[in-house]
Amino acid sequence: MSTTSTAKTRSGPHLVLLAVYAIFALAAGARSLVQVFTRFDEAPIAYTLSVVAAATYVAGWFAIRRAANGSAGFAKIMLWIELAGVILVGALSLAVPSWFPDASVWSRFGSGYGFVPALLPILGLLWLWRGRPEGDRSADESVDSHRNLA
Amino acid sequence: MDAVTLIGFIVAGYAAFVTIAAALGVVLRAPRPKWLDQVAWMLEILAVVLAVGALAAWSAGRKPESLSTFLGYLGAMVCLMPLALQAMREDRSTWSSGVIAAAALATGVVAVRVMMVR
Repeated sequence: MSTTSTAKTRSGPHLVLLAVYAIFALAAGARSLVQVFTRFDEAPIAYTLSVVAAATYVAGWFAIRRAANGSAGFAKIMLWIELAGVILVGALSLAVPSWFPDASVWSRFGSGYGFVPALLPILGLLWLWRGRPEGDRSADESVDSHRNLA
Repeated sequence: MDAVTLIGFIVAGYAAFVTIAAALGVVLRAPRPKWLDQVAWMLEILAVVLAVGALAAWSAGRKPESLSTFLGYLGAMVCLMPLALQAMREDRSTWSSGVIAAAALATGVVAVRVMMVR
């Protein structure tokens, strides 16, 4: 019974967002660690920004998980920060290419990852904007049932 | 074309098939069917075969551009699908197929990357 209700609470489009965020946290994290520990001097700005991108994906994963459970505040902040980061780093990589002798995760708006880094925060914000996740509704139903009992 | 490259193309093509099949499940709003798990595990077996072949070629003297990147890609390619299936073990909803689609797509992309850096 409890397993079923947990599964219902966790279902929704956020599952796919969480999976993609986990994949990008892994990809960006591993890439930035290799870059920082093997050839940091070659492109310090680009590699530092890769670390920032990896940290953003880890924070984004936790933020979406919290939003799926009803607290969307952190996710709103993180997704806007992530979108601003992709746009800023993407624009900088085009405007000041000398800062990016090697690509960072968000260089050219994430073209090295099929522009998924630019799409991801937009999809996340759309998910938040379209409505509350099932978890939120379940929480409300739970609150309502408590109110009825009271 | 050597055997490992051929297996790499098979993995990438099969991953594309699994991605499309899983994505169709989301589009059709159907619960995740059992056969999708089976085709996903088949992709995992192919990914393991590719990883073993790439490791065998490496041990036979083939030098990748960056060993850490090469081994990282192999590890990711082998681990992605089992982690996705484990995470969705108790969830047969439509959106769990989306998770399988994302994992299959990532496995295919990493298989291509393995071919490029090995």
